[in-house]
Amino acid sequence: MRILVVEDDEVAAEYVKKGLSEAGHVVDLATDGDLALEMASAADYDALILDRMLPKKDGLTVLGELREAGNATPVLILSALGETDHKVEGLRAGGDDYLAKPYSFTELLARVEAIGRRSDPTAAVTKLKVGDLEMDLLARTVHREGQKILLQPREFRLLECLMRNAGRVVTRTMLLEKVWDYHFDPQTNVIDVHISRLRGKIDKEFETPLLHTVRGAGYRLQPA
Amino acid sequence: MSTAQRRDVQPLGDLAETLGRLLRNTVFRLSLIGSLLFGISLLVAQLIVYDTIVSSEERRVEQGLIEELAELESLFAQGGEAALLAARQNGLLTSNTPQSVAQAIFDRGAQQTLQRVITLRDLSPDVYSMFVFKDESATGKMVTDEIEALKINAPALDPYDKTDLLREEVIATVESSDPTEDGPAFEERRVLAIGHAVFQNDQKVGVIFVGRDVENIRRTGERMRSAMTTSSLIAVFLGVLSSIFVARRFARRVDSLNKLATDVQAGHLDRRAPRNYSEDEMDRLAEHLNGMLDHIDRLMQAMRYAGDSVAHDLRTPLTRLRTRLETAAVEAGDKPEADVLFAAAGDADQLLSTFDSVLRIARLEAGERRELLKPLDPKTVLDDLAELYEPACEDAGLAFSYNVRDGLTILADRGLLSQAVSNLLENAIKYAGGGGGTQIRLSAWKGARGRIHIEIADDGPGIPVFERERVRERFVRLDKSRTLPGSGLGLALVEAVADLHQAELVMDDGLGSEAIQDGETDHKGRPGLSVKLVFPRVKSSRPVEEA
Repeated sequence: MRILVVEDDEVAAEYVKKGLSEAGHVVDLATDGDLALEMASAADYDALILDRMLPKKDGLTVLGELREAGNATPVLILSALGETDHKVEGLRAGGDDYLAKPYSFTELLARVEAIGRRSDPTAAVTKLKVGDLEMDLLARTVHREGQKILLQPREFRLLECLMRNAGRVVTRTMLLEKVWDYHFDPQTNVIDVHISRLRGKIDKEFETPLLHTVRGAGYRLQPA
Repeated sequence: MSTAQRRDVQPLGDLAETLGRLLRNTVFRLSLIGSLLFGISLLVAQLIVYDTIVSSEERRVEQGLIEELAELESLFAQGGEAALLAARQNGLLTSNTPQSVAQAIFDRGAQQTLQRVITLRDLSPDVYSMFVFKDESATGKMVTDEIEALKINAPALDPYDKTDLLREEVIATVESSDPTEDGPAFEERRVLAIGHAVFQNDQKVGVIFVGRDVENIRRTGERMRSAMTTSSLIAVFLGVLSSIFVARRFARRVDSLNKLATDVQAGHLDRRAPRNYSEDEMDRLAEHLNGMLDHIDRLMQAMRYAGDSVAHDLRTPLTRLRTRLETAAVEAGDKPEADVLFAAAGDADQLLSTFDSVLRIARLEAGERRELLKPLDPKTVLDDLAELYEPACEDAGLAFSYNVRDGLTILADRGLLSQAVSNLLENAIKYAGGGGGTQIRLSAWKGARGRIHIEIADDGPGIPVFERERVRERFVRLDKSRTLPGSGLGLALVEAVADLHQAELVMDDGLGSEAIQDGETDHKGRPGLSVKLVFPRVKSSRPVEEA
């Protein structure tokens, strides 16, 4: 993916750039609002990482002007203001996701990849497939190797979230947000327990495990 | 039927409520007292006028009568015969006159002087009756002796005894001064009579009376009394009306200030009191309140700005630190340093999460988000949390039971309530699970006065009673829990959320105590802990919004 990182803290920006490059993405940097607007309009990026507090033009203004000009590039908003109301404000302004500082880099990577893929026009999928695991979103059924797997509604949504991001890391915070709609981080291992139950249903009786734990980051659904 | 009845009853209830509200209104009470005092002083003033005009006139009449009575007495003392003779000589009375004739003469005599007829009640045939009529224009006295008319021998008049002064009001039937077409009309007039009963040798021999027509005075007095009563009543009525008017006017202004205070408490710091610039004390109060609010608003903004800048300034380098550690950890791969680096990143996370909690609590305490509270059914929130935490409970070896009633309504923010209950559940899992507990219970019900209780109870080691206040404070961790991860902010955050919801945070012994009550003496040193959030009753009956 080609990603534009807009961040006035150059050290942080360099780290983000380095990390994203290592993950196989092409990264450009912009250090203020005006420059960001210029660059985003000039080139066709797959995703934008936009800090809210920027010199010259703040993040939300940049976002508003981009959207007004008809630019639909997916945008991940970054901010030190991590409160839920700021989050709502950011999403309402046209952002696709919101991440509060401090974030872990894996969280950032997971989210950017998730929104970057969302711009794929084949949005109206009814079936998801990862390896031999199949999910029918209309019939709400899950099969593996032709064997039907019975899931609780919440487990189904958990698996759906993982399958939609197959091959990519999905963090615990992302799962908590997207599956439970909670915007706080529990101190305990609540998500891990749910994942281990899901794993018991989709992986336990099969040879190759699909659901992998990524240390210090989250989970990844990936064949072999 | 019942609705019709209710419609009938309603205005009365409203009236009673309105009255109750009025009576609680200080201004109304004050001006009511004022108007009552005014009514009383008006009455006193009128009584003084009445006394000056009517009573003194009556006293004057009475005094005159007493003097006349004295004259009459001296006439008697000198001997009734002579007086009688004088009367005869004046041609007013003839001897041997029968009663009817005497009456006629009496009447004539009366007409000559006063144009009236007096019929004294209480007079029996064997009683001496002497009447003196005096017209204000006439100078002489007319003495009538009925004894002679009735051919009764008059006893010697001296020596005689007399009673104390008798005072009586009698009715006289008098020919009206303006006769109707049917002939002479009669009217009844009041006469004030003063006299003595006269005794001789312990025998009541007669009565000496002096009478005076007081009808006009009396009528004037009656008219004045009725005018006084009416005017006083009207004054009091107008006073009450104006009290209500003034009270309502004043109450509206006070209410607007009260509403302002409520709004500000609810987090609307931008509201200001309306002013009319009349510079009266209410306007001045509004001005001062607005000044105070401006000041508070400035302080709040400064605090928020400081908080936000600190958040921004600290989070950026912390994020950098965390990213460096994380990057290094990933780069270390399978090398042993990776563990240390991941642990360091975890410490940074802990630091950041503490910082985040402090900011959250500060914002909650500022009450900014109170306006976001909506009526919701706690079950929708608790169902989700139960579903999220049940596996974690079982993983920690704790049995999870769930007992939340349907159809409850509280005023809450879903996110904040979720976070508060989540903190409590995590505490329960952490401390009960690590302290030998076996069960956790999440329940909600409607308690006394419609208050909604949400309770998280466990049978872990619990918190000693004397520590229960202290643990609510920020950064307070009890000695036993120091070995477990945590920042000491979890309960402080719950308390801040509770305050924002005007809910009460109540701590008590938990499930262990129930086991004791059930007859089990041994709770293995684990009274357990029960933490309750008690929400006030939702007053409005707005429909519950789906969360």
